[in-house]
Amino acid sequence: MALTLPEGDLQTRLERYLEGLGNRHGLEESEIVDGVVRIVAKKVDVPAVLATARETLGIPHLSFITVVDRQGYFELTYELIDFRGATVRVKTSIEGDEPVIGMVTGIYPTANWHEREAYDMFGVAFAGHPDLRRTYMWQDHFDHHPLLKSFEISTKRTFEGLR
Amino acid sequence: MLGEERRAEHEGALTEPPSSRLVSPDIRDEFGLETIDMSMGPQHPAMHGLLRLILALDGETVVRCDPVMGYLHRCHEKIAENRMYPAVIPLTDRLDYFANMHNEHGYCLAVEDLLDVEIPPRAEYIRVLMCELMRLASHIPSIGFLMLELGAFTPILYAFRERERIQSIFEAVTGARMMFHYIRIGGVKADLPPDIPQKIWEYIESLEAHFQRDFVDLIQGNEIFISRTRNVGKMTQEQAVEMGVTGPALRCTGVDFDIRLDYPYSIYPELQFEVVTDTAGDVEASYRVRIAECLQSISLIKQCLEKMPEGEVMGDTGRRIRPDEGEGFGRVESPRGEYAVHVVSDGSDTPYRVHYRDPSFCNMQLLQEIVPGHYLPDIMPIMGLVDPVSGGWDK
Amino acid sequence: MQTFLNLLEVEPIRLLISFGAVLFLVLNLAAVLTMAERKVSGYIHLRYGPNRVGPRGLLQPAADVFKLFSKENVSPGRSDLWVFLGAPIAMFIPAALVWVVVPFAPDAVVADLNVAILFFVAITSIGALGVVMAGYGSRSAFSLLGALRGAAQMISYEVPLILSLLGVVMLTGSLSLVDVVQAQGDTIWTWYFLPQLPMFITFYIAGLAEVKRVPFDLPEGESEIVGGFMVEYSGMTWALIQAAEFASMAVISAVTVTLFVGGWQPPLPFLDLGPFNWVWFGIKTALIMFTFQWIRWSVPRLRMDQLMDLGWKVLVPVTLIWLFVTAGAMLVF
Repeated sequence: MALTLPEGDLQTRLERYLEGLGNRHGLEESEIVDGVVRIVAKKVDVPAVLATARETLGIPHLSFITVVDRQGYFELTYELIDFRGATVRVKTSIEGDEPVIGMVTGIYPTANWHEREAYDMFGVAFAGHPDLRRTYMWQDHFDHHPLLKSFEISTKRTFEGLR
Repeated sequence: MLGEERRAEHEGALTEPPSSRLVSPDIRDEFGLETIDMSMGPQHPAMHGLLRLILALDGETVVRCDPVMGYLHRCHEKIAENRMYPAVIPLTDRLDYFANMHNEHGYCLAVEDLLDVEIPPRAEYIRVLMCELMRLASHIPSIGFLMLELGAFTPILYAFRERERIQSIFEAVTGARMMFHYIRIGGVKADLPPDIPQKIWEYIESLEAHFQRDFVDLIQGNEIFISRTRNVGKMTQEQAVEMGVTGPALRCTGVDFDIRLDYPYSIYPELQFEVVTDTAGDVEASYRVRIAECLQSISLIKQCLEKMPEGEVMGDTGRRIRPDEGEGFGRVESPRGEYAVHVVSDGSDTPYRVHYRDPSFCNMQLLQEIVPGHYLPDIMPIMGLVDPVSGGWDK
Repeated sequence: MQTFLNLLEVEPIRLLISFGAVLFLVLNLAAVLTMAERKVSGYIHLRYGPNRVGPRGLLQPAADVFKLFSKENVSPGRSDLWVFLGAPIAMFIPAALVWVVVPFAPDAVVADLNVAILFFVAITSIGALGVVMAGYGSRSAFSLLGALRGAAQMISYEVPLILSLLGVVMLTGSLSLVDVVQAQGDTIWTWYFLPQLPMFITFYIAGLAEVKRVPFDLPEGESEIVGGFMVEYSGMTWALIQAAEFASMAVISAVTVTLFVGGWQPPLPFLDLGPFNWVWFGIKTALIMFTFQWIRWSVPRLRMDQLMDLGWKVLVPVTLIWLFVTAGAMLVF
């Protein structure tokens, strides 16, 4: 069964994606910048937005999920690729120190490991994730999340009590 | 495609789908069958690095395969937050250490996205030339590793002979055999030495002359190779796309996604080449795709050498690289797949956040899905299909 | 000197001395073969093999043996020590014992049994026991897998091994290896490999499988189970397993030469060297061993189910069919 990839002119496709997502969800910001559809959504809307992107608009590939620790809130970026030049970038922010957001593994199965890595490095919990455990760090006796700004690098701290 | 006719006449090994070899859970309970829980690695000579695979085996059939990573984790993303922008480039070298040029290129594209600097055309041509040489230096040992894991010891030595020759070209150009630190923000570090284009040309001609004999004839028609790799690790296009696979592993299922053509960067729009796909989606198809990509790379290198303009090799980035606040994205077709870098800047000398999307990390999810149902000796050819590098999946 | 030669006529002393000589030969052969393997593999890989120790690397086996003697024999903590340590011995003894019936030159055989072929087949079968002992005694998942694969492979490939001998037995009319060599005539086109070509090829392939060499080295499986049944061995125990492997490779080559390629006979009668015909035997055995090594470095290995398919579905029918053809041809001619 062959996969059908999106066809057509790039600009029309980008506008179609923008419209498709904007029509179905209340987005905080949405614009096309430099050939990329930039969308900012509320954190509760993100799984629904991505579901629309996959099922309705047919965007097949989730490239990566980036988490940025802004020291007060976490900013997540989901980058969706439609294999033919168009990119949809969904941003959201999660307030507070114990970030929780809905998982997108059910929609884009590749997000499984990206979300595990986000959990491991930042402590972002993904509600409903089938297998949320650490990717890189020790599984037990290690309660820190290394990429947080509050976790100082090793030249500034000792390793006592770390594990 | 290479040898299409021959493919039709040979059935290959596994004709029924792998999942049919798994005993169903109720039969397992009724007879009290147990599985052996075995861990393959991390100390293992044949893994592509430090990987631990927790396997549950039913005799020789794998019931569950669970990769455990982190043995080479150096937290590059954290280190990058404490170094100035140009100083992050040697770190990116060490990510996927079989495709160093592509890592550097991706990071530099991301920072140049932030800075809006113009890169001179000669620098672009040199970057593409180095990246395509790196692609050759990565694909040929990948084929060697595939054969080593199947038990043939000779192709890997021929492959590393080629890689050594390419590395000596790199040493003449960049000064290092492996960790180049050559592609800089705004261009490349230094111009090519005057005799290098001639040397690269001679090397490419000689490689073309014996490539068919060394890497195709020796391997492609071998009965044992065909029966070990045909229909092993077979995936459909949907499976591959769902699992986020990119690169030769995706193209071997038939999806023709190549970042050099679909999300063009550098001077790839000016060069002529084709995207290579195969429809079978198994290990043999990935081998063919890599062989054909090597030939495409050879043609790209020749085009670069012919078309290379004169000029400077470094754009004007100012004394200090201090981008404004914002985000930069760079995406490159590394030999393993889609390599993307996301750089977040806060206006200071060091990046606020650097995130690497490494293809080895994403392609490894294949193992969890595809391996169950195959025999234990099939795990290694499937890793040859995915072709991960431990610096990549572990960052 | 004369008394020594007279002593050699006396039966038990002759047997002991000649067996001692053959054992000495086998042990040295194992050491030399490690060197030959590495040089051959080196030249196939377009590199030199070991060439530092001694002139052109010829003293490498001595260095290897010295190193292995000085290594500690590590055994896993939970292993069954008697079985673990008995396994290398159980592997080496059959490999060394078969040399007793191999004819090196006219009248140069340690024991001229009139059931030599039966003896060869029986003793080779014991090799499978050693493999299972090694894997079981190590108490490790990898070793167990390697042992089970080894047992299955060795037992399955005995069937084509034996069946392919039967054609030779029919043509010779006797089970004695000395008779087989005599009956092969003294020119290269009367040797048995021509009329029995499918049997020769089957015996060769089954021999490769018995010795567990590539493409049949799945029990050792270097890429996935890293040494399989012998992964837990080190030092002299490991060296003994390796010696057993090389000795059995040499003995399979020797028996192939004896059965199919004319034994100690020269290719053409005028090249006959009389009692020095062991030179011809040596050359032919070395040639067959070289082909074993050539194949090892050229092809990948077969997976277990493909290996079994090859043995049962291809080799056994070929031998059975050719047995009938041989019988028919013997009736007609």
